[in-house]
Amino acid sequence: MNQPVIAGYVRSPFHFAHKGALVEKRPDDLAAEMVRGLIAETGVDAAEIEDLIVGCAFPEGEQGFNLGRIVGLVADLPISVAGATVNRFCGSSMQAIHIAAGAIRMEAGEAFICAGVESMSRVPMGGFNPAPNPDLYERNEGAYMAMGDTAENLARKYQITREEQEDLAVASHARATAAWEDGKFAGEVLAVETADGPVDRDGCIRPGTTAEVLAGLEPAFDAEGTVTAGTSSPLTDGAAAVLVCTEEFATRNDLAVLARIRSIAVAGCAPEIMGYGPVVSSEKALARAGLKMADIDLVELNEAFAAQALACVRELSIDLERMNLDGGAIAIGHPLGATGARITGKAAQLLRREDKRYALVTQCIGGGQGISTVLEAA
Amino acid sequence: MPIGKTAVVGAGLMGGAIAAHIANSGHEAVLLDIVPEGGGNRNALAEGAVARMLKDDPAPFMERSDAQRIATGNIDDHLDLLADADWIVEAVTEKVAVKQEVYRRIDSVRRTGAIVSSNTSTIPWRVLADGMPEAFARDFLITHFFNPPRYMRLLEVVAGPATRGDAAAAVADFADRKLGKSVVACNDTPGFIANRIGTYWLIAAIGAALDGAVTVEEADALMGRPMGIPKTGVFGLIDLVGLDLMPLVGRSLRDALPADDPLRTVYGEPEIVRSMIAGGYTGRKGKGGFYRLDPDSGTREKQVIDLRSGEYGPALRPRLESIEQAGRSLRALFEFPDRTGEYAWRVMSGTLAYAAGLVPEIADDVEAVDRAMRLGYNWKRGPFELIDEAGAAWFAGRLEGEGRAVPPLLRAAADAGGFYRTGDGGREHLAGAGKYTPVARPPGVLLLSDVKLAGPRLAGNGSASLWDLGDGVACLEFHSKMNALDPDIMALIGESVEIVGRGMKALVIHNEGTNFSVGMNLGLALFALNVGAWPMIEETLKGGQDAFNALKFAPFPVVGAPSGMALGGGCEVLLHCDSVQAHAECYIGLVEAGVGIVPGWGGCKEMMLRGLAAKGPGFGGPMVAISKAFETIGLAKVSRSAKEARKLGFLRDGDGISANRDRLLADAKARALALAEDYAAPEPATIRLPGKTGRIALKMAVKGLARTGRATAHDLVVVDHLGTVLTGGDTDATREIPEERLSELERQAILALIRMPATIARIEHMLETGKPLRN
Repeated sequence: MNQPVIAGYVRSPFHFAHKGALVEKRPDDLAAEMVRGLIAETGVDAAEIEDLIVGCAFPEGEQGFNLGRIVGLVADLPISVAGATVNRFCGSSMQAIHIAAGAIRMEAGEAFICAGVESMSRVPMGGFNPAPNPDLYERNEGAYMAMGDTAENLARKYQITREEQEDLAVASHARATAAWEDGKFAGEVLAVETADGPVDRDGCIRPGTTAEVLAGLEPAFDAEGTVTAGTSSPLTDGAAAVLVCTEEFATRNDLAVLARIRSIAVAGCAPEIMGYGPVVSSEKALARAGLKMADIDLVELNEAFAAQALACVRELSIDLERMNLDGGAIAIGHPLGATGARITGKAAQLLRREDKRYALVTQCIGGGQGISTVLEAA
Repeated sequence: MPIGKTAVVGAGLMGGAIAAHIANSGHEAVLLDIVPEGGGNRNALAEGAVARMLKDDPAPFMERSDAQRIATGNIDDHLDLLADADWIVEAVTEKVAVKQEVYRRIDSVRRTGAIVSSNTSTIPWRVLADGMPEAFARDFLITHFFNPPRYMRLLEVVAGPATRGDAAAAVADFADRKLGKSVVACNDTPGFIANRIGTYWLIAAIGAALDGAVTVEEADALMGRPMGIPKTGVFGLIDLVGLDLMPLVGRSLRDALPADDPLRTVYGEPEIVRSMIAGGYTGRKGKGGFYRLDPDSGTREKQVIDLRSGEYGPALRPRLESIEQAGRSLRALFEFPDRTGEYAWRVMSGTLAYAAGLVPEIADDVEAVDRAMRLGYNWKRGPFELIDEAGAAWFAGRLEGEGRAVPPLLRAAADAGGFYRTGDGGREHLAGAGKYTPVARPPGVLLLSDVKLAGPRLAGNGSASLWDLGDGVACLEFHSKMNALDPDIMALIGESVEIVGRGMKALVIHNEGTNFSVGMNLGLALFALNVGAWPMIEETLKGGQDAFNALKFAPFPVVGAPSGMALGGGCEVLLHCDSVQAHAECYIGLVEAGVGIVPGWGGCKEMMLRGLAAKGPGFGGPMVAISKAFETIGLAKVSRSAKEARKLGFLRDGDGISANRDRLLADAKARALALAEDYAAPEPATIRLPGKTGRIALKMAVKGLARTGRATAHDLVVVDHLGTVLTGGDTDATREIPEERLSELERQAILALIRMPATIARIEHMLETGKPLRN
């Protein structure tokens, strides 16, 4: 059976939506630059690519049409390379990787580019013309519940204090800052061209973030609550791309394999505590890999909210020292459609860099879902 | 050469705010101050001034982005920034030597012919120009702004004997058209006009209160409303400007005046004022002044000082028999035989007689003096208008009877029958014995008060009138209390549409009240609610909608020309106009949510129609327009300037803004006449709205506001109804509905909301306190 592997990963700098350096960057252009960058970095022959699968959480406006095909055409990929758009909200580009992995197992292609993008500046969260189903809303408010409210629900349910949340945020910023200082993002972040010149550094990370500063913030979603802007991932513009191929394809084309995809899973949970999703999907993925949490050396868990991440840490018994080594989304940012590709590519890179065996990659998804991937060192 | 680039040297309270107001007008301003001692940021003073002004309330900037037009720096490193300025304002400390040193530095870099002016409030031109080079003096004048410069409409300009006439004219024109100031040419005398008379008045009023056994609150009650002076009166005003400033201004003025000047006679520095200043009681900026909020009890109860004991006690709202008996008669108040009537007479007779003795010394005519006091001190009537109101002959006679001097001009007015009269040329003022000349209006200035004097009115009732502005343009004026909209106004709107439709070209809606209109008459509404007169309420709603639609669909153009507040129904009138020419100081908003209802005279409908018509930034279907209207109306946003009203969607891109209130009506009339060429009335629109789906989307958005404590329980109810109106009720995105459907939905929403106790509580609270109830 063909073994899917990750053989390349790049991302753009991540910047604050509405005020950052990528505000005027079209998301299709941004994604296309990452696709071209990935091809250049890995040296893969673009003509060999079966499909370009692009994850995006709000595929309308400049992210509309069939974004996957549009990005392929903008990137001047050979006409033979197909293109699809996939939406699983925040799990979109991890889902793109899962689709590629499944196709590879089906022997329905050898090489795939799995990308993700979100310009939260240019396409608002919720879309331009929100049109929720009125009957569903009246029956089940949680279906459309604001993300911040779900984080408050988890904080309350798991008794996660504001201080604990702030400690995680401080660590996230400190790790991301240190990673930049130590050049650890060099193999990952590609410069992006903008009207104001090239942008090559992340824009959301706040070096020197302290617990004192965070303690001074007002609750962002509930006057009586504990979740603040400082313990939430910011609205972000960014893109990421991962090369998924068969192990045999990688060997034949002399590609550097970062990691094998060992197992994948998705699962639903109650929408009101959507941040709990990683618990149920990770339990499935670990079981499918025949592993236990104790076997996992590295975890990339998306920090949509500190409260949500800590609830999962507690339920899955994750060792914080092994999680998000170069910082998480609270510091780096969370461009919805791009995050899945970022953390999966990142985990694959980390397995090599840290010389470890197993990584668990997981994230929560609005509406109440989790998505997980288990990677194994190549 | 017209003024383009400007600079202000001195970033204190006045200098900074003058630069801010120049920036408001769309012009660049350099703002320099000295390098602060002790190292650090060398531009700290100017930069700090801009940062502070962005937080100040009332706001010196019309929009936050206006601050970007100010280039900050310091006079040591950035003097060269003055090199291309056309007009440089000096606003440094009131010391001649310091000012002249600044002039020499300005003179070393300014371009030939660049105008330099001083914002001094007391120092004469001849003193400031003394010893300066001839070439400098030619370009030098005094431009005295009043605090705060954005809001106070007076600009006193003093040109010296050497000043180029065209320099003074260029500054006056810029101040008039761009900064919206009413320029009063003053002679080169100490304190110029407004502060000369105003200081006399304040000093006389304090002195008389100390002598005459009236309390602080009584003095302010007498000097305030009955005189047409802001209700701060005397002591409240001093608290506002700062007690410590009084002796400084007073002393410098006294020292500059001749020995026999009456101001020197009344001048005093009362012991109580001295000890208050020494104790830090310098007014609102200090620990308190004549008034303070109780620092101990925690109730923040308003307290007032006893002028004799120096002790604070609870502030009372004095009910004075003199004021009640006198009614609106100034003379009756002056003649009222008790200590309060005597106080009013003593202070005002001294002040008004002083003013009468100063013309033509300080200004060419009485109209300039009246205008200066109206616009510089916010008096409703100037000194000479006050004398006319009391009766010039009576006034002169009483002075004479008391053995006091009667100034020649007052004598002439007494003989001729007053300082003003209405003649063939409209309003005329006394210009010497028995001689009247028309009050001159600069070209481009048209005042409704002049039109009204010329008369006759075309139609009218107790709340509104229709006037003829000439050239086929009529003017609809509201003049009800606070220009609140009532059935009489609605009736006259209908009548006006008929009258103008019979052969006139256009209609302008304008008035000279402080506020264009504060909206529906809530008192009437509450009465109808309390007696459960539902059919009447529905009729009022429908009547208002019909009246405003009559304006919208009239066969001639209608131009709104608002100044001040246009709230609720006042805003809705404007939304139905073809075009608006707004005064720059326009505070527009749909504030209905504050009293628990939604806009019901077409406010929701028009905001949706213009939102759907406007090509906003970004993409999207109707929800973009719906969300914006929902936010603006739901949060009862009120613009803090006409420019901001444009951002909020109350004004359209094509609507005009007049900086100068006196030019507003002429600008609006010109706009109406331009529209009248080839005018075609709009057709009723049909629109597509998302119905329930959109309403749910709005409901979802609001939930977060409630959880963060930014919306109350009843807010949620009100905005749910608002959401129903804005999304078209039970429609579907595929259906076309007529705009009239939104009017129906507005009525339904209001009729549902006004039956709720929480809405009634909001209306009652607003009527009682003037503030919204957060229930």
